[in-house]
Amino acid sequence: MKTWINSTIFRRSAALLLLLLLWEALSRLAWLDPFYAPPPSRVAQVMFSLFAEGGIWPHLEATFTAAIIGLLAGLVAGVVLGFSAALTPILAELLEPVMIVLNAIPRVILAPLFVIWLGIELASKVALALILVAVLVFFAVHSGIKDVDHRLVERVRTLGGGRRVLIREVYVPSVTAWLMGNLKVAVGFAFTGTVVGEFVASSRGLGYLLQFAQSTYNAALTIALIVLIMVFVLLLFSVSELLERRLLRWRYIQEPAR
Amino acid sequence: MLRVQDVTVAYGAEPVLEGISLEVKAGQFASLIGPSGSGKTSILRAVTQLLRPQSGSVALDVSLDEVGFLFQEDALLPWRTARQNVALGLRIRGLDRKEAEARAEQWLSSLGLAGFGDRYPRQLSGGQRKRVAIAQVLALQPRLLLMDEPFASLDAIVRTRITQELLGWVEREHLTVLLVTHDLEEAISASDVVYVLSQGPRATIRSRHEVRIARPRNVLETRRHPVFGPLLRGLWDELSGESPLVDYAL
Repeated sequence: MKTWINSTIFRRSAALLLLLLLWEALSRLAWLDPFYAPPPSRVAQVMFSLFAEGGIWPHLEATFTAAIIGLLAGLVAGVVLGFSAALTPILAELLEPVMIVLNAIPRVILAPLFVIWLGIELASKVALALILVAVLVFFAVHSGIKDVDHRLVERVRTLGGGRRVLIREVYVPSVTAWLMGNLKVAVGFAFTGTVVGEFVASSRGLGYLLQFAQSTYNAALTIALIVLIMVFVLLLFSVSELLERRLLRWRYIQEPAR
Repeated sequence: MLRVQDVTVAYGAEPVLEGISLEVKAGQFASLIGPSGSGKTSILRAVTQLLRPQSGSVALDVSLDEVGFLFQEDALLPWRTARQNVALGLRIRGLDRKEAEARAEQWLSSLGLAGFGDRYPRQLSGGQRKRVAIAQVLALQPRLLLMDEPFASLDAIVRTRITQELLGWVEREHLTVLLVTHDLEEAISASDVVYVLSQGPRATIRSRHEVRIARPRNVLETRRHPVFGPLLRGLWDELSGESPLVDYAL
């Protein structure tokens, strides 16, 4: 019992609950204007009705579809381009400046351009999520290969390994470690790209709903949607972490006592 | 077996090594000692073609496939188990996974690591990792073994024990060895011939000493041999004059 009370999770949960109770009390006592800061119970009510009435499902489907497709396509594009650039100097000469520029700018500013080019449906949201993820993954893969431990490369070479063996035994595992370290950020980027794309112009999606809530000054709906997006992203974070622990088992395995 | 002829190695404008010539005959154990930073490792890298000398030549009586290189760091793949690390070289040589791993297990057992095959490098102690690295090299049954201060990071007891085990293998299998070290006692107790490298840059071979102690040897017993003391003192005096900062293990 004592150990349970002393646990970090318990202390964090208690602090969050306390904050929500304080917020609720301040709202009910009219110390906070419910128009701007509706009480948590009102937010929960809105959230419940979103699911109970079923209106949220098409929006969830739209956002998830665009984010997942954008995430997967961005991972594939980033890995392929990162590997190609790291192993082919001439390609690196061409790709690196483009990627550096794309990395330097806030890439969400491309959203209006994608809407003009690809329309307000799924494609423009996927494109924005893809570009956000692909640039991140490109640099993760590129760095993973460039910063690979040269002692491992020499080890494999002195064992007789050529380029193919080096890629399989050294570069791919090294890049996987870098990639997994960036997967959670990539998940966040995919949702950012999708929601911002929907926010700019769309007919469905959580970003579209957010835009609607903002234009109607519906703070309870806005907060409910923000919480919803946070919950789903945190769920995907957990999946990423499980994947990371599985693929990088060697990194998380318990060290013996020395 | 190995002939390094007038080799010059440069990383920038000034050569690190200049006009290096040395020879290791078949079945001979040779050591190369010298001050830190004199370019000892570069000679081994030139032999294994990890670097290209500016001039000179390296002649081997064996193919590169028959050369084993034991690095200063164990350099094991952290994402592979001990067994997979040992099997890697065998698989590169064309053995299928099952056979390579079975042989790897035998080598691990023969080096006192039975039951450790499924462990990842980070689950092993420094001495165990070094044994895995030795198994990885010996499993390829090299005829020429190059070693770059392979036991420098280990404590004295483990270091002596592993040196003795490796020396046993070398003597039984009549391997040819070139060991790079800055430990004079290690060099004398294991070697038939010791080459002394001068302080770099432009380091050269300063002298060559034969160690006339019979084999098989015990690394601890060898230190009590009448030849050992005078040779150690001679090398010490030679290198102390060579290096402004004396860093030799006596």
